[in-house]
Amino acid sequence: MADYDDVWIVIPVYNEGAVIGDVVERTRETFPNIVCVDDGSRDDSAERIAHTGAHLVRHPVNLGQGAALQTGISYALAQPGMRYLVTFDADGQHRVEDAEAMLAVARSEGADVVLGSRFLTENEQVPLLKRIVLRTVVALSPTARKLKLSDAHNGLRVLNREAASRLRITMNGMAHASEIVGFLARSGLKVREVPVTILYTDYSRSKGQSLINGVNILFDLSVRQRGA
Amino acid sequence: MLIQIILIATAFVLFVFFIRSSHSVRTQAVKRIGFVLFLVLNLDAVLRPDDTTWLANKVGVGRGADLVLYLLVVAFAFYSVNTFLRFRNLERRFTDLARSIALRDAQPPAGADRLDLAELPVDASAPRVPVQTAREDAPEHARDETPESSLTGGSPR
Repeated sequence: MADYDDVWIVIPVYNEGAVIGDVVERTRETFPNIVCVDDGSRDDSAERIAHTGAHLVRHPVNLGQGAALQTGISYALAQPGMRYLVTFDADGQHRVEDAEAMLAVARSEGADVVLGSRFLTENEQVPLLKRIVLRTVVALSPTARKLKLSDAHNGLRVLNREAASRLRITMNGMAHASEIVGFLARSGLKVREVPVTILYTDYSRSKGQSLINGVNILFDLSVRQRGA
Repeated sequence: MLIQIILIATAFVLFVFFIRSSHSVRTQAVKRIGFVLFLVLNLDAVLRPDDTTWLANKVGVGRGADLVLYLLVVAFAFYSVNTFLRFRNLERRFTDLARSIALRDAQPPAGADRLDLAELPVDASAPRVPVQTAREDAPEHARDETPESSLTGGSPR
């Protein structure tokens, strides 16, 4: 088994008490360093995390997933010996093996950032409607096209220390995924995409981004490009 | 006419409020001149309603009241954008505040080394207020800069 002491897993958590304990324990079998950012959950998420071996950072109020990711990244960057950072969704839709494969790519090919993609291999794992929406978001995003990405909204990402310290997520809500892609396009960092498998369980399906939220994301991003 | 008295009184009250929040920045002076001009035009429009009709005809609008309505729409749109930008700036500061509290109160798992707080990176995503001016005009300063720099495409960072 490879040595993952220099890897930090960042998991933004919002009302995931039903599964977060299992997700953390399963991930900890491989990765020793995990920080969970509890984004002001109203359920028992924080308590569940406290019983695992993960570091717990709690937002005093709910700020949004983008803000939680940035908090986790700031925390991980402050840890001694941290060289790689993996962002991970809390609902158990990502596979630990995929994270390992992406880390292997980051280490062996010197990529600064490795993104997981659901679409690199043609299969039926993504529900059709969701596939259409996600494809549309990619097609409408000039930055995603520039990087030739196939999936702009995957929560599984590997960043090395340089990429993580340069990234500043300002979109607190769900638009941060596109913001990250935009940052990568401008940054000149070396970005790779690796096929991953998403476990679309009933639970993650019920918690996942609603398709209508895509409208909000597009609005946030268009305003952001003019404003800030 | 009563409506004229009411509108003029409102204009004067606004003017007094405006004058009393005092701070000495050049942009502020420009804004004030613009506002005084606006008030004068207001008075003119109230006392001599025909002037707005005259102006309306000059710019190709039928009635003076229509012109006033159009200008109101523009003013409201500007106000909305301004408010939106201000709120967003506020949200960023709020996020930074909540984040620093969260990081300060972080709980490592039992048995792990305690995190050295001094090593936490200072989040630079909020606009910095210079220390020496941070006392009185800092809020005004920051509040005024955001919409302007944003509208001209500059970054508050």
